[in-house]
Amino acid sequence: MIRTLRRSWPGVPWVVPTVVLLLALTIYPLVYSVKVSFTGPAGFSLANYARLLQDRLFLQAMAQTLLYTVVALAIEFALGFALALLVDSLGRGRAFVRAGLLAPMLLPPVVVAVIWRLIYNPQFGVLNGTLRNLGIHTSALTWASGERGALASVILVDVWEWTPFLFLLLSAGLQALPQEPLEAARMDGASPWQVFRDIVLPLLKPVMTLAILLRTMDLLRIFDQIFILTQGGPGFATETVSLYIYRTAFRFFNFGYASAMSFLALGLTIVFARSLMRLMRVSR
Amino acid sequence: MKSTVKYALALLALAAAVAPIYWLVTISIKRDIDQFAVPPLWIHFQPTVRHYVELFRGGNLARSLWNSTFVASLSTLLAMLLGVPAAYGLERLRWPQDWSRKIGFWILSTRMLPPIVTIVPLFLMLRRAGLLNSRPGLILVYTAFNLPFVVWMMQGFFREIPRELEEAAMMDGDSRLGTLMRVVLPVAKPGLAATVVFSPIVASNEFLFAFISTQATTSTTAPLAMASRVTQYEIRWGAMSAAGIVAMIPVLVFAGLAQRYLVRGMSLGAVKG
Repeated sequence: MIRTLRRSWPGVPWVVPTVVLLLALTIYPLVYSVKVSFTGPAGFSLANYARLLQDRLFLQAMAQTLLYTVVALAIEFALGFALALLVDSLGRGRAFVRAGLLAPMLLPPVVVAVIWRLIYNPQFGVLNGTLRNLGIHTSALTWASGERGALASVILVDVWEWTPFLFLLLSAGLQALPQEPLEAARMDGASPWQVFRDIVLPLLKPVMTLAILLRTMDLLRIFDQIFILTQGGPGFATETVSLYIYRTAFRFFNFGYASAMSFLALGLTIVFARSLMRLMRVSR
Repeated sequence: MKSTVKYALALLALAAAVAPIYWLVTISIKRDIDQFAVPPLWIHFQPTVRHYVELFRGGNLARSLWNSTFVASLSTLLAMLLGVPAAYGLERLRWPQDWSRKIGFWILSTRMLPPIVTIVPLFLMLRRAGLLNSRPGLILVYTAFNLPFVVWMMQGFFREIPRELEEAAMMDGDSRLGTLMRVVLPVAKPGLAATVVFSPIVASNEFLFAFISTQATTSTTAPLAMASRVTQYEIRWGAMSAAGIVAMIPVLVFAGLAQRYLVRGMSLGAVKG
């Protein structure tokens, strides 16, 4: 038995420590949390899942998370792509521009939140300060601290922080494009737009898919920046699923309900990612 | 497009990316009265180091920085010890059917799990094991965070090494492990370096778990020390900004070192930079 194992699965011992640790620290907690979510005061219970269906706040958090994800992704992708094309076509100074553009993405999320607090503060922030200096009335411009503008303000921070990520991947993709088909098309008299649409875009598809997929997963679980910037407020204006789960678990200590919610969130993330992959017809 | 227009646009984008960071820097070296001046002072103000002095005098920040460094280094080391052999095993040893791909993908998928899903049970587990509020607990969790990343990066690097190199060494009677240590790893040095440098970035930007699992000051990491300063009732902007600068320096240094591998790292090894 052990001998056949060794002969046909020689790689197993190399992988076992990694797999065991990951099982213990990701899969076991997952299973454990299934159990907690199905446990009521008197043993097995579906109460947590029943409650989910009636929880207006959860639905609102979910809707806001989706809105946040879709809007931020669309802007970041469009901007990132445009910047990648722009920088790719630059001559001198390209490396310099690229390095500078990447800076926001590398900052710890906490630092990003601090920066935007300094900018957004309605009374003392540099944003309103600049506007006031230009003679614009700023008393209505509350940015992240007013109920109406909060979500948009938080999305803007995300755009600032993560457009560089899409820029980075897409410009790596552009640089890795094979030159022959591009030149051949140009020789045949194709316009720049035709070259872009019929050759560059199809060749870039795998990288685009990957970039969108990675970013979507991160957006759906957004927590850090919002937590430090607005704590989900004012009111409920910037509450996302992750924040709501966090609050349920660590403020109200309702671990069962938090687990139930996180499973729904996980399920939706998987469905979302899968349909995205199908939409873009990834072959892996 | 004319190239002057292009450069103008590029500069505009550059300004949008960098100006907020520059503003943070200025606030951290401005006197309190200059911080809120209208019009905002971008260049003409009298610099001061007061906020930095104040920041380090408390003692807690120095400690949390040390904690961050300690946790990041040990978890990186552990992740490399476990992950490098796994990557090699998956890449170079024989597997029935496409099991190596399946296992590799499973390893990556653990990274895609939203942290909030596993954080509740992980919290309960660590509490029961008595590892809450402790550095060993954080190290364990960060090792698990970094592992998928290490495995994927290193698999990519191993793939690029010609097999003939190892075959020659094995012919000479070296064992698999010996070959890895003596032949493969020296060749894969740049890859190892890139992975080592990248892991602390991953770990030091992690916030949620550290926030939830460590309330005690003895194990607090730098991002947390920052956050507590930020969310405190009375906000002292100078100190907060100085803390921000201190927290971002190590990350930027590591990123500078790993610049060539940035694309690969950020895309979990899926795109070659």
